[in-house]
Amino acid sequence: MTTFEELKSDWDNQPKQNPPRGGSELIVQKINGLKRKQWITNIVLLITVLILIGFFFYVEAYNNTTVTFALFLMVSSLLVRIIIEYFSIKKLQEIDVTVNSSVFNDNIIAYYKKRIRTHYIITPIIIILYSLGFILLLPSFKKYLSEGFYTYIIFSAIIILIIMVLFFRKQIKKELSIVKGL
Amino acid sequence: MLENQFKSVYEANYPKVIRLCLGYTNGDTILSKDLAQEIFIKVWQNLKFFRNQSSISTWIYRIAVNTCLLELRKKGTVRLSNQLNHLEQSNDNFSEEKEAKLKQLYKCISSLKTESKSIILLELEGLPQKEIAEIMGLSHEVIRVRIHRIKIELTKCVKK
Repeated sequence: MTTFEELKSDWDNQPKQNPPRGGSELIVQKINGLKRKQWITNIVLLITVLILIGFFFYVEAYNNTTVTFALFLMVSSLLVRIIIEYFSIKKLQEIDVTVNSSVFNDNIIAYYKKRIRTHYIITPIIIILYSLGFILLLPSFKKYLSEGFYTYIIFSAIIILIIMVLFFRKQIKKELSIVKGL
Repeated sequence: MLENQFKSVYEANYPKVIRLCLGYTNGDTILSKDLAQEIFIKVWQNLKFFRNQSSISTWIYRIAVNTCLLELRKKGTVRLSNQLNHLEQSNDNFSEEKEAKLKQLYKCISSLKTESKSIILLELEGLPQKEIAEIMGLSHEVIRVRIHRIKIELTKCVKK
């Protein structure tokens, strides 16, 4: 007859897993790598914003109100999405893992619920604003671009939109399953 | 100085942490090593805030339980390993019967509810119930009753 003590003895008799050689140094190196990556992300974000602003002035977009407005809609909606995601990931990393499991669970559930609210409310608004900006740009595209390229832009935009919607749908589904499992 | 402290904490606690991870990942060595690395990254990041309010090992177990649960949730379901690699990689001779018994134990642990899994893994690691209660954020009494129930459930499952 199997008793729990026998199970415990089987568990205890598993071979001891020794730490890999130089393991602690590797962890410290990895953390420094993560910090560098964070730095690079910040710089890339900053450069992107600067390029967009520069481009705006370079093409003198401010002379055409519709184009300015359309570009503003597209760029700002994308930027808002990136900034929300950036701070959301940062917030997840900042959740205290040293608290007891019940408190940690509550904090994680609150975090994911907030994220799901963001997905349900802000993400559709962002997609609509981005699409609206694109639609407003269409007359300018038609005026200045060849017919073939114009058709290509429309088709590729539709494909990008579908991919974006599918991607967000997958993300929402995944995060909902995380909340359910907690 | 912090680096030296981390090194000794790492060396002393790695075997316990990896074994706990194996329990969560159904014996998947690669996944367990990844999880252990993630846990020690968090240990390093929080070590300067550790205030000796609990023992360092209880503190590490708290980080380990929380990290394992969150990371495994993010990854989705973990399939049961066909082979317990950590047994095969060891120099000790493990009889087929022993390996089969352990495999069954892992399988039964994986069938438990998330919270029960954490509790019984800590119990199997030999932690006092008071410490398990502290890690889980539940009262000592609740833990006592839960351990009793899970032990019966697990023993029944292994016998099947």
